Amino acid sequence: MLWYKAWLETRSRFLTLLCGMTAILIFFVHHAESVLLPKPEIDTYQMLYFANHYLVGLWVLSVVLLGMGGLIRERAAGASSFTLALPVSRLRLVGVQIAMGVAESVALAAIPWGAILLTSHLNAREFPISQAAFYAVLLVAGGLSYFGLSVLVSSLIEGEFTAPAVAYGVTVLSGIVFGTVESFRPYLDVWRFMGGDNQLNKSTYLLTGPFPWASTIASLTVAAMLLGAAVVVIQRQEF
Amino acid sequence: MTTEAVIETCRLTKSYGRHEAVRELNLSVPAGGITAFLGKNGAGKSTTIKMLLGMIAPTSGEGVMLGTRIGELENHRDCLRRVAYVAENMALYRYMTVEQMIRFARSFYPDWRESVAAELLHVYSLPLDRKIKSLSKGMRTKLVLLLAFARNPELLILDEPSEGLDPVAHEHLLQTLVTRSAEGVSIFVSSHQIAEIERIADHVCVLDRGALVLHASLDELRQFYRRIDMVFARAPREEEFRVPGVERIQIEDNQATIFTRWNTEEILERAKKLNAISVQVQAIGLREIFLETVKER
Repeated sequence: MLWYKAWLETRSRFLTLLCGMTAILIFFVHHAESVLLPKPEIDTYQMLYFANHYLVGLWVLSVVLLGMGGLIRERAAGASSFTLALPVSRLRLVGVQIAMGVAESVALAAIPWGAILLTSHLNAREFPISQAAFYAVLLVAGGLSYFGLSVLVSSLIEGEFTAPAVAYGVTVLSGIVFGTVESFRPYLDVWRFMGGDNQLNKSTYLLTGPFPWASTIASLTVAAMLLGAAVVVIQRQEF
Repeated sequence: MTTEAVIETCRLTKSYGRHEAVRELNLSVPAGGITAFLGKNGAGKSTTIKMLLGMIAPTSGEGVMLGTRIGELENHRDCLRRVAYVAENMALYRYMTVEQMIRFARSFYPDWRESVAAELLHVYSLPLDRKIKSLSKGMRTKLVLLLAFARNPELLILDEPSEGLDPVAHEHLLQTLVTRSAEGVSIFVSSHQIAEIERIADHVCVLDRGALVLHASLDELRQFYRRIDMVFARAPREEEFRVPGVERIQIEDNQATIFTRWNTEEILERAKKLNAISVQVQAIGLREIFLETVKER
């Protein structure tokens, strides 16, 4: 039933974000392609590349919001006493919250990509599912660190508006620093990784080359460390 | 630590910086019966309860609840399956409906009693489809009480359980506590409603500025606590009545009022020696005992 609780707690946020993102991307694929794509063949992939960039921005904004909540927020609302009196360890409480957030983050990448695929198909612009899957996997693999950051911030800061403000602040700041400082860019520019720029063939706009396992593992490790830190913080907090 | 106690603490202390919220608390809550936990606002009652439930870590000292050390609760959550807790603020998940909240809570407790839950739903007139965020304070209190009373725990801990209740629900709460106690559930209740507590409690603990200042059965309190009003021809000296058991001596002109825990006979003897014009001995209620106990010294 902790899953049930985690779902009820996040479902309005999740469904609103999902519908919003999907609607924006369908609109983009359906209407904006004439502006972006003067040529027929290659330009479907160019469209995918741009659609993915929209999706990356929206997805990061969304997963930061999904990471909010949990026990610290419940403490501010007063419900943490009920939760902590349940015969369940804090590790399990936070673990289920994180697992639900990760599942919803994956859905926020997969479903809009499914919508892009379908809309593109209906507009007679076919492309292989493997390209969509490649983009979606890069997005989730690179972006989960932002979800981890958000969970960590929400386990440290109680304020309903302060916590997302700080999480967004750190997200934007890290994006600027890692994206502009030349020595950081090859290793820490997560936005390039999520956007598929490192795998992109600039002439065909196809994602090519081997899957970036090393970067993926490094990025997921950072996400796991941030989430682990959040668990440790919650276990030490007093309610 | 004794085996008869459901809660036992030994020098339990919680400090926030230089402020000691709970000071070297030696508390023993006997199994069975209703133990009232009284104190002014900020006396440390809720902090003590939260330490017992593992929500707050003690600064020093130790405590045992149902045989489990409180520092080990995180690894012994089964202990919490045997405890029902009604928190002070009555807050639940705002995003759930009453029905979802009940379904969620009952999934954790094998001792959930469906028939009792149904009966309380009827008595409290709780709307199953309403979101908790739209419930009034009283309705939320009723729902929290339902979640606790629908279970059959060994220990029931209630922190200010009557907040927001109407008189009918209040009376129902008191009757339910008495019934549950008769069924063998140990009840530990923190409250400011002293008149009601006096009707139902078997034992009373009073906490003042983090320290336990009174711990006795209600029968003992009724039997031994006395207020003695005396009138003399001339004002007596305070020292004349300083004997063991005396809580407070108040002398105004030629009148003296003494609150005593015991030793009434010794005081009466002294009053006689001082040629008291009139002496009146009165049994005093819990409210007066409480006020005397926590009065600024």
